[in-house]
Order: sequence, then C-alpha cells, then structure tokens
Amino acid sequence: MLKVEELEAGYAGSQVLHSISLRVGDGETVVVLGPNGHGKTTLLRAISGLVRPRAGRVEFDGTELTHLPTEQIVAAGVVHIPQGDLPFPEMTVLENLLVGAYRSDAWGARAERLERVFQLFPPLAERQRQLARSLSGGERRMLALGRGLMSTARLLMIDEPSLGLAPLVIEQVYATIHAIKRSGLSILLVDENAEHVAGLADRMYLLEAGVLVREGAAAALLRDQALLAAYLG
Amino acid sequence: MIARAEARPWAETNWLGVGIVSAVMLLLPWGLTLVDGGNYFTHLIITFFVWGIVAQCWNLIMGVSGIYSFGQLALFQVGAFTTGVLSFSVGLSPWVSIWAAPVGAVLAALVIGLPTLRLRGIYVVLLTLAFHELLRNWVTTGPQWISAGGYGLARVPKLGFEHVLGPQYEKVFYYYTGLVFFALATYAIWRILNSPIGLAFTALRDSEDYAISRGVDPFRFKLFLFAFSAFFTGLAGGFSAHYNGSASTSLFDFGVMINLLVMIVLGGWGTFAGPIFGTAVLTFLTELLRAFDLYRILALGVAMAVIAVAAPEGLAPLCTRAFRSLFGVFFEAEYSPAPGPVEPDANADATPRDG
Amino acid sequence: MEIRDALDALLQALYSGVLSGSVYGLMAIGLTLIWGSLRMLNLAHGALYIAGAYIAYGVLSALGWPVLVTFALAVGGAAVIGLAIQLVLINPILDNPGRDSASLIATLAASIVVQSAILLLFGGQTKELPPLLEGGFKVGTTLISYQGLVVIGAAVVCLLLMTIFLRVSRRGLAIRAISQNMDAARLMGIPIAPTFVVVMVISAGLAGLAGVLLGSILFFTPSGGFTPMLMAMVVTIFGGLGSVPGTIWAAYIIGLMESFLAVFVGPSWALPGIFLFMIVMLVLRPNGLFGLGEVRRL
Repeated sequence: MLKVEELEAGYAGSQVLHSISLRVGDGETVVVLGPNGHGKTTLLRAISGLVRPRAGRVEFDGTELTHLPTEQIVAAGVVHIPQGDLPFPEMTVLENLLVGAYRSDAWGARAERLERVFQLFPPLAERQRQLARSLSGGERRMLALGRGLMSTARLLMIDEPSLGLAPLVIEQVYATIHAIKRSGLSILLVDENAEHVAGLADRMYLLEAGVLVREGAAAALLRDQALLAAYLG
Repeated sequence: MIARAEARPWAETNWLGVGIVSAVMLLLPWGLTLVDGGNYFTHLIITFFVWGIVAQCWNLIMGVSGIYSFGQLALFQVGAFTTGVLSFSVGLSPWVSIWAAPVGAVLAALVIGLPTLRLRGIYVVLLTLAFHELLRNWVTTGPQWISAGGYGLARVPKLGFEHVLGPQYEKVFYYYTGLVFFALATYAIWRILNSPIGLAFTALRDSEDYAISRGVDPFRFKLFLFAFSAFFTGLAGGFSAHYNGSASTSLFDFGVMINLLVMIVLGGWGTFAGPIFGTAVLTFLTELLRAFDLYRILALGVAMAVIAVAAPEGLAPLCTRAFRSLFGVFFEAEYSPAPGPVEPDANADATPRDG
Repeated sequence: MEIRDALDALLQALYSGVLSGSVYGLMAIGLTLIWGSLRMLNLAHGALYIAGAYIAYGVLSALGWPVLVTFALAVGGAAVIGLAIQLVLINPILDNPGRDSASLIATLAASIVVQSAILLLFGGQTKELPPLLEGGFKVGTTLISYQGLVVIGAAVVCLLLMTIFLRVSRRGLAIRAISQNMDAARLMGIPIAPTFVVVMVISAGLAGLAGVLLGSILFFTPSGGFTPMLMAMVVTIFGGLGSVPGTIWAAYIIGLMESFLAVFVGPSWALPGIFLFMIVMLVLRPNGLFGLGEVRRL
C-alpha cells in the first residue's frame, strides 16, 4: 500500500534521513521506533509533503506521492497526524473535527463520519462546543486523532501519540488507536517508546540516526530482550 | 541564519581614487558656474545631497535593521519646520536655527520611538504612518505660525550666500554646505555599519531572538538607531528648507515617499552604497521626467513592484560587480550586502524538533 | 451645554459613529483576514477602497447604468484588482525569506500604481456618487439621510454574512484553520494558495464595497483611501489581529470614539485622540481586545 524507497530528506544544511525504505501493507499497523532526534518526525513529514524529499520515492497504492503538494497527498488518502500538536485553538471541538472533513469527498459524508468519531471518542462528543484550547492534553490528542479520522484517510500516520501525556492517558490514547486499527485503517505510527505497541503493531522498524537498522515482525522484535531494554521507558 | 557582515573599517581604500573623486567634488561647482545651465546641474547635485542623506538614514533603519518605520519623511519635515518656524516666525538667524532642526527631529524620534519600538513590526508600520498623517494634518491645518494658510512656510530665510560673491555664485556655497552635511552623514553611517553596533543591527534584523540571546537589547539599539537616523534626516530637512527658502507641506505627499523608497530599493536594500546609488539615479531621473510627473509616479510604482518581486537585492549589487573596477573607492569599503531583505526562516523546517 | 443641545450632539455623534463604524468594519475585516492567514499587512487596502468608488463613478458617467448594478460592478472590480495584486505581487514572494518587507514594499507599490492610475484617468478634483435613496429626516439638529441608513444597513448585512460564512462554510473554516495553524491546516488537505486567493478577493471586494458605500455620502479624491485605511488598521489592531468578531466590535467602538471626540471635543482632535488611545492600548494590551495569543513577527 505505502511504499517508501531510498528516501533522503533533511533541513537546510543537514541530512536527517538516509536511504529509508519501508512499506505498510493494506490494513497493517507498522510502528517505527527510534530515539528522539533521530528522524521519526522528519520521516512522516517527508511522506506527507511538509518537507521536500531530496531523493527517493514515496508511492501509495500506485500513485507517486514524492513531490506532490500536501493537499494532493491527503487527497490520495494519506493523513499525517502531527506530534504534540495543538489543534486549532480558537475553534470548537466540533469545528476542529469538521476541518478534518475538508476534502470534498469527506465533506458530503461529514454527518456520518462525525457520528463514528463520537462513538470512538465519547469525551469529544461531550465537549463538542468547547474551544479546543480548553481541552486537556489527552483530549487534544484524541481530537487530533478524531480529526484525522474525519477524512477519507486510508493510511493514518501518527507521530508520537504518547508524547507528554500521563501514563493513564497514554493508555486511553492507545486504546483508541487499537479501535482505529480494528476499523480496518492502515497505520504508520512512530514513537520513542515500545511500551504500548505490543499487540498493536504487525511489523516494526527501528530508526537510529536517520537509518533503519532493524525490521521485522513485531512479535519477534518484541521478544528481543536487548531491544526491549533499550526502548522501554 | 545571520548574514555575515564583513566589517572592514580599515578597508583597502583606494586612496588615489578617493583623492581624485574628492578633488572633482570640490572643484565641480566652480566649473559649473562657467557652463550654461551649470547652475541647474549644481541644483541637482544639492538635491542629491539632501535626499541622499535621508535615503541612507531610512535605509539604515529599514534595510539594515529591519525596523518598518514610515516616519522618515515626517522627521525630515520636523527638521524643516523647526528651523523654518524659528527663523521665519520667531526671527532667529538661519545659521542658528538650522541646528535646531536635527535636535527637533531627534526629540520627535524619541517621542515616537519610545512607545513604538518595543512593539513588533506591524505596529511600527501603523504608528509611524499615523505619525506622518498626524504631523501632516497639524502642519496643514494648525496655527498660523506653522501652517501659514496650509501651504507651509513660503519665505524661510536663506543662508545669505548671495551676499558673499554675488548671486551667480550662491549655489556654490550651498553646494559646499550640502557636501559637508552629506559627507558627515555618510561617514557617520559608514562608521556605524562597520562597527560592532552595525553587526548588532544586522543580527537584530536577521534573527532577533538569537541576537537577544546573545545579550543584544533590541529596544535600546533600535531607539539609538532611530534617533541617530533622525538627527541627520532632520539636518537634511533643515538645510533643504533654507536652501529652497520654504518648508512645504507638499513634501508629505506619498509621491515623495515613494520616490525615497525607490531610491533605497532600487539602489540596494540594506547595503551601504545602495541608497547613494539609488538617490543619484532617481534625482536625475526625476528631473528628466519632471514634465511627466504623474506618469513618473506611476512608473516608479511599477518599478518598485517589479523590484520587490523579482530582484529584492536592488540594482546596486548588480551594478557593483559591473563597475567595480572603475569606481574602486565607493565599493572597496562597502558594507557587505545582505541578500535582500532577509528574515529568519518562517517555516519550522529550519529547526528539526525531534529530528 | 443645555440638555437639548447635549442630546442633539449625542445623537449626531451616535449616528456618525455607527456610520463610520460600519464602513471601518467592512475594511477592517479584510485586513484582519489577510493578516490572519497570510501574516501580511496589505498596504494596498486603501487604494482598493478608493478604486471601488472610482470604478462606480467611471461606470456611471461613461455607461450610465443603474446605480445598483454599478455598485455591484465596482465591488467586483475592486475584487479583481485585489486578485491581480495577489497573483502578480504576493504569490511570487510568499516563500521568500524576505517576504515581510518585500510584501510591505510590494503592496505599497501596488497602492501607488492604482492611485496614480486613478489620478490619470479621473483627475484630482473631488467626485461623488449618487445615493440610492435621496433625502432624509431630521431628529433635533441631526440630519439622518436615507442613504446613510442604507449604508449602515448594507454594511451590517455584509458583516453578518461574513461572520456566518466564516463559521459555517467549508471555505470559511479553512480560512480560520489556516490562520490558526497553517501546518495543521495543510495536513488536513486544505489547499493553501487557492485559499489565500479567496481571502484576498473577499477582502478586496469588501474594501471596494466600503469605498462605494461611503462614496455615496461623502466626496472622494484619488488619495482619499489613505486615512480610512489607517483607521481600519487601528480597528484591526484594536480588535486583535486575526479575530473577526473582535474586529467588528472594535470597528464600532473606534467609529463611535472618533465621532464623539469630533462632536464633543473638536474635529481636529478626532484623529490624534484615536491614535493616542491606540498607543496607550498597545502599551498596555498588545494583543488588542480579542487578540489571538502571540503576535508573530510582522
């Protein structure tokens, strides 16, 4: 479904990603683990078009995404939910969610999509008319996820959903990601911490210093004790 | 990214070049009195001196330091009217009152600058534009001693040069006065640009946050700079009033402001030689096209739009490279130009957060 | 002052205040939208305003079409000029590092071009536009013209429509999204450049409308757009850069303040008074009435 080949990207004067190749299959949940500062966010940004790749290809269901503007990448079905992001602060929860359905194909069906999101995230339904900036950290994260779901995304790319949240809240967030997975969406998730991905990930990659150093079935990697020691906590 | 300013106060000045140019500048007016129409040419050069000062000052604030002030013209007028009122309505000798011009302008600058310069860019634009408008309003409709019916002071005493050698040599002395002021201002600006203060200003323009973290207090620097440029601008205004014999409200017109802006933008935004070059070009252009005043303004607007979009560095840097061999003195000691109006990278890509 | 005179003065101040406030509101909304989404100060706004009035004048004197049609054309014309400015001058420099100063210069240049073109085409004498409704009525010593009421009515309707548009429509949400968080908006698939164009066209149209409306009750000259633009900028800042409801409130407050100063203190005190107030407010509350959090670079 998503094919990334030899992707290179970076910022002015620095190279962050070196020859990254990965894939996400239909309905798969793939997790990329890596320490902070090693390129996880850049990877997602390079795929979603916020950062221009310097080399390599990104392909999704046969469509080449590599140098497309973000709006077309979203139209193709790849939605990036950024890290630690404050949703549109001066809009209500409801309005935030509606923005998620901006693309015309989603807009027509927004009532049903809203229903679905509210079922997945009851707290959002309760706080519909509240301004986004008055939400707690966990609720904002849920709002961001919900917003992503309002679109016609077939691949959801989630950046560090657990960042800065209390442990209890992290569990809730990951529980909803499980629910998303069950609904059939493909997921590409990057995180620093392997603690919650057991049972969620089908396959995993390890990203260190901008290079993918390990790849494999999640079950296998998670049994690796040395690995667990490095990436837990 | 902070543009590196190559400060070279000890620059490899081409002394021969300087000597030749100085000699020419000093003897020129005499030669011109002998030529038919030479006096007119002298007048053009004096105009160049006046606006060259103002252009350099405005460039120092906007181009080099990134303070979006549109009050330069108003400060010029403060100078003009201060000395105008003192010499015309109050009766002081112009040689005395002319020194009140820069002082008045500096005071005005401090008054505007204190509340304004602490605020971010857009507010400075608005407040300086407001100052311009308010001053224009007051000068045009204010008390008789300043507005004289709305056209400005029409009979500001001149500097008395016509008594020295006779009226046909009058312009020569204005020329020298103007030359002295111009040289003073240019030298002062050059020294500032090539001093640690100058580097601080560029740092402020390019990346205010970084500069602050290195101990630069933006507000005091900006205030100093603002007042500094007001000093010479006011001086130019005062000189202009006495030279032209009037302090005119028409100098508030936007056409004048655009003229000034083009001088800076055309010549090279943020550079040292740029405004000088731009003023020179524009002064002669303006006179040439005097008959087509309206079209000239229209054309200038178009030119400025084109430059802003297509060549933000202005034309001077391009010409610099072409004329470098010929006019060594002006360009050897040149403050290294920043690549256009440089602002810190707006998008977050510049600093990877988590990498 | 006698009660009678005081009431008369009060009514006069209220009427002119609401009138100016309505017009300022139309202009300021455009400025605040442009600021909110493009992070840019549009110095050509005054020129767009006066262009509206002159286009209407031109069409009327050359073609003699019905007033309503002419007014609509003028609004459209201003919107087109705004579009041209956006496409030719703004879009190319959006990604430049020097875009802040470049956009100031570019919009100032555009303003000069438009104004001198108007001066060339129409000359410098004052002009006026015919009102839709003639006549008026007196309340005390205050003359309230029907056209004045038309202007207020039209402006209020437009302001309401704009507010609804921004709250409810897809495009409106997109505009607000971009102004609150551009990256997030991008990631939702909102096309940035086309939305900027929409913002510019709307704001230019509103400015043109303001010019036409005011031109039907006051005289105007080619350089007449500058002071209203200045006031609109004050309103925009007072209401909080990027906040539409705040701007609408601010427009009426400033409009009323201006007229009260003019009526009760003296006409020459209106402008300086407002600016003094603004300086004080900026020092005390830099984000304005309803300002949105941090005020970025420009």
